[in-house]
Amino acid sequence: MKQASEIRQTIRAWVEQTSGKLQPGELQDTTPILEQRIVSSLQIIDMILMLEALAERPIDVADLKPGAFKDIETICQTFMGGPSR
Amino acid sequence: MTTTNSFQAIIDKLCHASQREYQNPYTTIEWPVGFDKSEWFMSPELLSLYGTETYAKLSDEQRTKLSFYEAVNFFSLNINGEKALTAGLAQRLYKKGNAAINAYLHHFLDEENKHMIYFGGFCMRYAKKTYPDKKMVLPHTYAPGEEDFLFFAKVMIFEELVDAHNLFMAKDERLAPVVRTINRLHHRDETRHLVFGRQLVKELFVTHSPGWSDEVMRNVRSYLAAYLQATWKEYYNPEVYNDAGLAMPYKLQQQAFHSDHAMDHRRRIAQNCVRFLLENNMLTEAPRA
Repeated sequence: MKQASEIRQTIRAWVEQTSGKLQPGELQDTTPILEQRIVSSLQIIDMILMLEALAERPIDVADLKPGAFKDIETICQTFMGGPSR
Repeated sequence: MTTTNSFQAIIDKLCHASQREYQNPYTTIEWPVGFDKSEWFMSPELLSLYGTETYAKLSDEQRTKLSFYEAVNFFSLNINGEKALTAGLAQRLYKKGNAAINAYLHHFLDEENKHMIYFGGFCMRYAKKTYPDKKMVLPHTYAPGEEDFLFFAKVMIFEELVDAHNLFMAKDERLAPVVRTINRLHHRDETRHLVFGRQLVKELFVTHSPGWSDEVMRNVRSYLAAYLQATWKEYYNPEVYNDAGLAMPYKLQQQAFHSDHAMDHRRRIAQNCVRFLLENNMLTEAPRA
């Protein structure tokens, strides 16, 4: 499995690429990516697949708490087990 | 909602057909005790890895094992889709303005519940599990009529893709008989659901879309295109590859989804559905396969 900082960077790059409408430096780790419609509900499927590949284990959406995909910080804490940068 | 005379005639005809073909899901299928390792459960041409280098290198036994887990995935995504569908149908049953379609919504709900009994019966008997849903619904504010239109349009897209698979597998004599039967039973009901769905989606779009702003219309179109692609993604499940004993399941998922063969396959299966959406101005260009 990749290092925590590398994982965070991969997630950030994925969000930037998926959105296609962010200016460089605009995306912060606490930017609300769903609320601001940077990522859509249907793109969450791709995000889950990307997170599963990073974590090397399946994710059961039914087990997730509301807000699990709120921002990059929350995603890292929820799926990768920590806030390391 | 008000319905045209022709739609009302279709609804009456569909209700009669559903009554005529009413079945007991607990006696319709004979479940075998087990299967032979050489049996197929999903047509090879419909396997998500078909046409890839990985598939070419698999032994016959690995291919049939993969076909078992792909069938469990196909049945699971049907269960997951039908769970959302029955919840949405139940919400709309006897809702103000839906008097014209209530009678058929009862059949729709009944038949979708039976399908889940068939699919769940297979998955839980032979795999002891279903694969979980990866779709999420987030809160959203809708324009008038947009939520109903999107709900039934998603149902139609989902069922069109599934039905193309059902039709193919119901006739495929290479498959275990119980799998053919499940596909045949599903297809038989789905043909009616698709007739209803197409007509209702058209009526909802004609009624409500003139009142939508350009932004709402743009969002509706991009949502439908994204839904089609998200639905396809679930046919390429890394957990299936892992269960089938294949290495690097997430890499396989990426390779399979983006292979030329897979893109052609998706375009072919979805062509009728995409044509319908384009002809009725619900999409203005064919979405990425």
